[in-house]
Amino acid sequence: MRNLQLSFNQTQKVRLEKALERLESLSSKSNPNSCVTVGDTIPVYEDGILKGHGTSDQKGELAATVCGVVERINKLIYVRALRARYKPETGDIVIGRVIEVVPKRWKLEINFTQDAILMLSSMNLPDGIQRRRTAVDELNMRSIFTENDLVCAEVRSSQGDGSLQLQARNQKYGKLERGQLLTVDPYLVKRRKQHFHHLEEYGIDLIIGCNGYIWIGEHVEARDKMVVDQGSNSEQLIAKCDKNSMDLDEQDGTCTPREARQNICRIANAIRVLSRLGFNITVEVILETVNLSNSLNLDIHDMLGSEFYVLVAESEAERRSLSKRKR
Amino acid sequence: MVGLSEGEQEFIKGGIAQDLRSDGRKRYTYRPIYVETGVIPQANGSARVRMGSTDVIASVKAELGRPSAMQPDKGKVAIFVDCSPTAEPTFEGRGGEELSAELSSALQHCLLGGKSGAGAGIDLSSLVVVEGKVCWDLYIDGLVISSDGNLLDALGAAIKAALSNTGIPSVHVAAEAASDEQPEVDISDEEFLQFDTSGVPVITTLTKVGKHYIVDATLEEESQMSSAVSISINRQGHICGMIKRGGVGLDPSVILDMISVANFVSRQLMDKLDSEIAAADADEDES
Repeated sequence: MRNLQLSFNQTQKVRLEKALERLESLSSKSNPNSCVTVGDTIPVYEDGILKGHGTSDQKGELAATVCGVVERINKLIYVRALRARYKPETGDIVIGRVIEVVPKRWKLEINFTQDAILMLSSMNLPDGIQRRRTAVDELNMRSIFTENDLVCAEVRSSQGDGSLQLQARNQKYGKLERGQLLTVDPYLVKRRKQHFHHLEEYGIDLIIGCNGYIWIGEHVEARDKMVVDQGSNSEQLIAKCDKNSMDLDEQDGTCTPREARQNICRIANAIRVLSRLGFNITVEVILETVNLSNSLNLDIHDMLGSEFYVLVAESEAERRSLSKRKR
Repeated sequence: MVGLSEGEQEFIKGGIAQDLRSDGRKRYTYRPIYVETGVIPQANGSARVRMGSTDVIASVKAELGRPSAMQPDKGKVAIFVDCSPTAEPTFEGRGGEELSAELSSALQHCLLGGKSGAGAGIDLSSLVVVEGKVCWDLYIDGLVISSDGNLLDALGAAIKAALSNTGIPSVHVAAEAASDEQPEVDISDEEFLQFDTSGVPVITTLTKVGKHYIVDATLEEESQMSSAVSISINRQGHICGMIKRGGVGLDPSVILDMISVANFVSRQLMDKLDSEIAAADADEDES
């Protein structure tokens, strides 16, 4: 994780080491006993405990079988592994890509062991009326989402066999366009109250999916989007047909404007840096990183250079020590 | 290879048109290149090159052999590329063969010139030991560990770095007049026949998306390409080889324009690569 594959010169290496050490010391102060590695004994303070995931009985003592943090809930003791696969819970916001369109449902790939299912009945219909889905609706499924589309949805339930059911009944959910998708490790995204962020000053929508997919795109008004889409869909279709003969300047008009694009790229690079360094991805940290890069007048591509990595690590160490002192 | 939705495709094409790609690069900017040499101690020379998420390793092994009858004063070089399944699950078994064959032949084209050996980027005459009888055979192997676009450039850079790291054992030949070869191979620690790589070209791939060309395309950008031209240029600015991929036809004026762009870009790439290789060699010496 720390093998950053960048050429740091000597001073940068030293600064980076110092910042990372500082971060480690800050975190270990708060939880002295709870980090364990494989084979460590877990201190047990009472009788009648239930041994959960990641623990095993070794010669009468409780030993950890994974590297992680010890969690105690009532009488249950388990070890929560740090770098685990995405573990879905009801109510999670996830971003998925459609890989299959089958009768009455879409199959989405969400960076999980199995594909998630989005039922046609869990989607709002284009005309907005709540009614029973007919065979015509089924035939028109492709006009709503087709293969390779990006969809934002919420986890409704997980079935007995482990497969997931999603729903997209809200105005906020649905197809994602005009932007880019980033993949980070799922453990870097913690569950929060808000996963949809509209960054006003940049005019950008930021959706941090709990499965590690992060969407950064132009701001789209929370939609009666389905109705609007039908109209613009036909325009887009005509535009695509003429694309090859069309002048590129015209094409730019329907494309993302340069200002928004710069913001999108800047935010995307900030997230890339944070994920490479292994820091949690939250809106505050992202905005701070972007502000840092703006204040230094860094070229967008230079954000992926070694100097900026070191600066981000240092500023994160600074921020965490400040927040600790406030507490 | 993940598919891309319409919106994402439009975003990528629009970015290239506006000279601002998904990670903020301009059209002719390379991703940060990271070079490590000497990664395979058993080989005569080796190097690992990372360009963004693209990760390739090249190794050079030298063996004594006979020169071919048509070119008795030249050594032989064979280039072979293997795509590892760690890059893509589809490369497992025979899945990666097509891509491997394409890359191998492209590299041979760019670095070794024509069948007669004329115009080779690598100087083959330096590999000969006894003319007509004994020469060095270089077996250059490339391994693709992780693929995020622009494999050809990365492999070309890795081969250049591996060759600069190659030490060919010095050979003392006993003065025999017989037609049988009897060289004494003195594989002493003085492997100071460092291969001369100042003439080795670098490969620059220009990917055409829409009306513009970009350098160092990522996998997503490559999925939107109409055609790609890979040109290998050496330090003197001479073109050593050129390959065009992709089904869309190109106007000759476009190709000439691409050549001039490649000339400009490859100069920067060569400087960057030379400094990275020097730094990597220095690191290796330290450790």
